[in-house]
Amino acid sequence: MFIARSEYDRGINTFSPEGRLFQVEYSLEAIKLGSTAIGVATGGGVVLGVEKRVTSSLLETSSVEKIVEIDRHIGCAMSGLQADARSMVEHARVESQNHAFHYNEPLRVESCTQAICDLALRFGEGADGEESIMSRPFGVALLIAGYDEDGPQLYHAEPSGTFYRYDAKAIGSGSEGAQAELQNEFHKSLTIEEAETLVLKTLKQVMEEKLDSKNVQLASVTKERGFRIYTDAEMAVVVERLPAN
Amino acid sequence: MSAMFSQNPLMNGPNYSFNQAPSTAAAGNKEHGFYPYTDNGGSTLAISGSDFTIVAGDTRSTSGYNINTRYSPKVFKIGGTTSSQDDATLVLSVVGFAADGEALKERLDAIVKMYRYQHGKPMSVKACAQRLSTILYGKRFFPYYVTAILGGLDEEGNGAVYSYDPVGSYEREQCRAAGAAASLIMPFLDNQVNYKNQYIPGSGVGHALVEREKIPLGRTEVEDVVKDAFDSAVERHIEVGDGLQMFVITKSGIEEKYLPLKRD
Amino acid sequence: MNHLPQSWGRPRDDIYGAYDHSYLQSNGPNQHTQSPIVTGTSVIALKFKDGVVIAADNLASYGSLARFTDVKRLRSFADSSIVGFGGDVSDMQYLDRLLSSLDTREAYCSSGHSLNAQNLHTYLAKVFYKRRSEFSPLWNQVLVAGLDAESKPFLASADLLGTTFSAPSLATGFGAHLAQPLLRKVAPDEDAVAKLSEEEAVQAVKESMKVLFYRDARSLDKYSIAVVTKAGIRLKEDEKLENQSWAFADKIRGYGTQVN
Repeated sequence: MFIARSEYDRGINTFSPEGRLFQVEYSLEAIKLGSTAIGVATGGGVVLGVEKRVTSSLLETSSVEKIVEIDRHIGCAMSGLQADARSMVEHARVESQNHAFHYNEPLRVESCTQAICDLALRFGEGADGEESIMSRPFGVALLIAGYDEDGPQLYHAEPSGTFYRYDAKAIGSGSEGAQAELQNEFHKSLTIEEAETLVLKTLKQVMEEKLDSKNVQLASVTKERGFRIYTDAEMAVVVERLPAN
Repeated sequence: MSAMFSQNPLMNGPNYSFNQAPSTAAAGNKEHGFYPYTDNGGSTLAISGSDFTIVAGDTRSTSGYNINTRYSPKVFKIGGTTSSQDDATLVLSVVGFAADGEALKERLDAIVKMYRYQHGKPMSVKACAQRLSTILYGKRFFPYYVTAILGGLDEEGNGAVYSYDPVGSYEREQCRAAGAAASLIMPFLDNQVNYKNQYIPGSGVGHALVEREKIPLGRTEVEDVVKDAFDSAVERHIEVGDGLQMFVITKSGIEEKYLPLKRD
Repeated sequence: MNHLPQSWGRPRDDIYGAYDHSYLQSNGPNQHTQSPIVTGTSVIALKFKDGVVIAADNLASYGSLARFTDVKRLRSFADSSIVGFGGDVSDMQYLDRLLSSLDTREAYCSSGHSLNAQNLHTYLAKVFYKRRSEFSPLWNQVLVAGLDAESKPFLASADLLGTTFSAPSLATGFGAHLAQPLLRKVAPDEDAVAKLSEEEAVQAVKESMKVLFYRDARSLDKYSIAVVTKAGIRLKEDEKLENQSWAFADKIRGYGTQVN
């Protein structure tokens, strides 16, 4: 005889008697195995930061891409199964371009997040009964940063298809500790530079490896420059700014 | 006699229906085919001002020399949240094939309403203009046989008029006339709205002539220009008449006006 | 008669023209309806203060042949609306079946309220527009008479292209030329409609049917007439034109072959 849980954790679209979808909950666990990613929203823009796990000294660190561009004004950081994130980002890019083509205006950050979450739910059947396109929920969470007519915004999107807007959010293996740190340190009047420092400082606390300019990556979205991944030189400057201890 | 109308040129004279001569009756349309379009006449006109836009159209609907009805609006509010559209901010006018016009209006209205749900904001006239273009171009090979004009206020609150051809080519303009009497109204608008060919008398000869100062028209002046344009078009074009419907778009909403035109 | 046995018993081409084999060819693009076959002529209708009068004769023509003389071209829907059909009779019968199934479906599922004439007109217009967009038109022009959502008189037209319009009086086909001017004299606008009595409206429609019979070669003196009001439908399908007078006929000059 199976234990109660295992009877309901196979079918992705079957509720357990307690009203839970185990496969979706498990997918959230997959994220906790991923490297830490942090986003901080300020009045002047949003800063994203990720930890790159350099598992081998032979690994070319620039090939680890955990922050990607969706459009000129939207970018995202990921934690979890990176391959899954690729298809979500691809979807978001198409949606964003489509919107610009049809409406001659940039896609709003919330609409972009909603589009990604629509895809995340496609492990089930479609609303019109079409075949499901995925055999399982995504195993990745995204921090979506962008700038639109409502100013800079940060969203967190989960495999369950839910999303929330945050001032500051951490996901991945170090998220619990990082979130507590953000809770303490965040305030509404942060500048971009302060946010950069806060992100790296928080990452540093939860990383197993010693933080340097190679094993972390930063990106920002601002009104003036849109989405931008920091160059090695810029990374070095921010790392330099960190209080030593 | 009927052999003269034979499908087969070799069959002039006594012949028989089985193949004595090669049959030339090949594929190709016989009789009159079905033509999926008609022209319902009428004219529309839109003029933008500094803080308003006026979109107008006559209300006559025609089939050939027949008047279908004296009241068939071709100017519509788009994207309101109620059935009466009283909170709409966009106005679409369509002239040409009325059934396509109706279908286009309903499609655009549905899209603008969906946009509000999906993006949590009303659609700007710029966004709507681009969307209307893609809708029209989407039927490039079976077009909506209409000339559309979209009116509204832009993000700065200035009047905005976008005009289209049936397959989606569009531009933003100060003013535009469309439909049956477009060729009668447009030159009048060039002269009265954009002051084309208006010079200061005695200011010089040839290229030395000084153009009259281009003062933007106010709302009441534009309303008068619209009325005059239609009164004149009614005189010279049989497909225009019966009634004039005008939508005045300002930041406080859309005001509708109806004036009778000659019914002859 | 000739020496070719294949031709014996067949129509002679020198008399009837060569047989057009292209009608039997199945290659080439798919061809839908290219023209109507058996047709009904005008439908006319007029609004009055409490409702609508609508009429159409009972003839179905096959070209110039008066093929069927007892065809009912006014169809009632949900005991509250009348659809008058002009144009192809087989398409009319198809639409009749379509409306029957719609009526049945609505009667089963709805919560007591049924489709009014305005709903019916919108539905028919969408069917027409869809079919014209598929290049497979339903070759009709119809008038829908009844009441709208506010229980006010409703009269509107829809045709094979999906074109729609509404007016105090409407007429299809020949009626648009001959009857519409007479009806517009009685009801030039909605204000006039609000003052028009049922008797006056019926009188005007009957008079128009007479004019149509005089001048439309594809018409009949047997006709159907219906009055739709809040009280319901009164449909008479076997009316005969009364008080005809052809006294004017021999005074007409200049249309035919006569010279004096």
